[in-house]
Amino acid sequence: MQSENGFYGQYGGSYIPEILFASQQQILTAFEEAKQDESFLAELNKQWQQFSGRPTPLTFCANLTEHFGGAQIYLKREDLNHSGAHKMNNVIGQGLLVKRMGKKRVIAETGAGQHGIATALVAARLGLECTIYMGAKDIERQYPNVFWMKQLGAEVVPVTTGAQTLRDALDEALRDWSSSHEESHYLIGTSCGCAPFPEMVAFFQSVIGNEVREQSVTQFDQFPDRLYACVGGGSNACGLFLPFLDDKDVEMIGVEAGGKGLALGEHSIRLSHNLGQPGIAQGFATMFLQDNTGQLQETHSIAAGLDYVGVSPIIAHLAETGRVKMTYAMDDDVIAACTLLLKKEGIIPALESSHALAGAFKDAPNLPKDSKIVINLSGRGDKDIFNVAKAVQDETFPEFLNDYLASYPTRHLDNQEQN
Amino acid sequence: MSQLAEFTQQKLIRKPILAMTHVVYGYPSVTESLSWMRRLLEEGVDFIEVQFPFSDPVADGPSIVAACHKALEQTLDVDTCLSQLGELARDFPESRIVLMSYLNPMYRFGLEKLAKRASEENIQGLILPDLPIEAASQYQQACHRHNIDPVWLVTPVTPTERLTMLASQASGFLYCVARSGVTGHSSHESKAKDTSLDDYLALIKQHASAPIGVGFGLRKRSQIEQLIGKADIAILGSALLDAYNQGGQKAGIELIKELFH
Repeated sequence: MQSENGFYGQYGGSYIPEILFASQQQILTAFEEAKQDESFLAELNKQWQQFSGRPTPLTFCANLTEHFGGAQIYLKREDLNHSGAHKMNNVIGQGLLVKRMGKKRVIAETGAGQHGIATALVAARLGLECTIYMGAKDIERQYPNVFWMKQLGAEVVPVTTGAQTLRDALDEALRDWSSSHEESHYLIGTSCGCAPFPEMVAFFQSVIGNEVREQSVTQFDQFPDRLYACVGGGSNACGLFLPFLDDKDVEMIGVEAGGKGLALGEHSIRLSHNLGQPGIAQGFATMFLQDNTGQLQETHSIAAGLDYVGVSPIIAHLAETGRVKMTYAMDDDVIAACTLLLKKEGIIPALESSHALAGAFKDAPNLPKDSKIVINLSGRGDKDIFNVAKAVQDETFPEFLNDYLASYPTRHLDNQEQN
Repeated sequence: MSQLAEFTQQKLIRKPILAMTHVVYGYPSVTESLSWMRRLLEEGVDFIEVQFPFSDPVADGPSIVAACHKALEQTLDVDTCLSQLGELARDFPESRIVLMSYLNPMYRFGLEKLAKRASEENIQGLILPDLPIEAASQYQQACHRHNIDPVWLVTPVTPTERLTMLASQASGFLYCVARSGVTGHSSHESKAKDTSLDDYLALIKQHASAPIGVGFGLRKRSQIEQLIGKADIAILGSALLDAYNQGGQKAGIELIKELFH
């Protein structure tokens, strides 16, 4: 979606400290040139295919369809990307852009660690230095991802300011960029931030929707009637929705994280029920969860990837104009949707993507039997093993963890010597 | 000439360089921050830059970030803050107070209302580091209407053409960031070699009719001495906060004496 000078309606723009002006302009120019450059696009497609395994399939879910007795349910399988999520589409694109700009280092923020891992993977492949900022609390909650980032050669910096989560990591990444802009690129993981990041990330993610356009016609002779995507930062939703914007018959539904309840601090619903308010922070204008005095607030979701205080200015605009309908799913509904997909279709969804499932499952029984819906399965759920085990109260899991700990070599030095 | 620029020029007749000291409003409490400002004004600092805290201060380093977060443990109100600063401004007519914050809390308060209220309280300058001049026409108009100065920042990596534009639009004073990075000491010390501060300031002076303030990373007397004749105002932020954190008002005042007397 083309912006107007970086703006989508009243959202977007570029509100960054003066120190970043020149670097931001450099990215703006590099991206404008790259997206017109056939050789860049050819390399992008090649890496998408050879490194990430694109195109990802569009999977018909016969059992779920029968279960609900309404719409025919299809999943866009972004979980089958390398790294297990749609994040890969964007990091490959920006990674190639970094090489094009001649920079040597990438900085990224990460919440759950998915974008951190994706960035570390691409940095390793492209020979770039990599620093990942992650809230100290998120590091505690998501250590397995941190482990892989470190193994991939990335430096993972714990952020101990504020609530020590994604928002603080993003602030800290911006601070790093302010001092390292000459040799470093800030590889934002979602379609947020100052221009041109929302547009650029949406551009790289649009491969999702572009594939669905072809696959839907091939597989069922029409475009889908409805599209569903979860909305955290908004990049997987942008990726699925934007290629269908001009197809007025295609309805689009974005699903936010309802968390534990609708009180401030218990959810991440920014775009419906008047819970978010317009604001300008972290480089751009959008709907933020904030108090009356303009201080940004804490958020919650069982899915760390949706636990963010702002949202893509593109989605904020499309929600405001009514093109995208917004709804939300509560933590409990999300676990139920995740479990149902496991049992019915043999697919392990990420908890983020399970929000899209929950939203769609609510509507599916009431939709005509010949209607077709596509749900973006933005990521796989292996990473959520700890959270899901806890949510379904698996009895053996704690036992396993205890045994694992008991057999873990605690004498660090001995262990190193063995290596 | 703007009120702030005229004030600066008058003061420079008697002093080689003016001191602007930074205080976070509400840190560690509203009362203590106001008492600290009063103490600084009694000491005769020429300006106080008061930072109204924001939850996500992306241009600041760890000292100021921590102070802002501490301050936000209480609910802070822009209107009350301006009234309290106005009282200080009336009590100390020989000094000036400018207000710095990030865009969001000011945007929520209303930029027109901000300019009006600041003007009523004789707060003659406003600094919003995340509002670029291209997006600021309403804010500029509001400031102009109420006869206060929007203060713009330039940096060593600002392209020359843009630096010229910003310098020519500067009123009150032009805030020259001395180096890349965020305020104060942090893990993000710039590795890039900035152009020499002297060359940078000389270039700015060619284009700016407004006074020149220099901040970011000032902590030693030699740095202040180096600025004499090249800049008009030395801005002391994180170093002062660090001293205050270590030894309270007494340590802060000692630092100011060491740097400026």
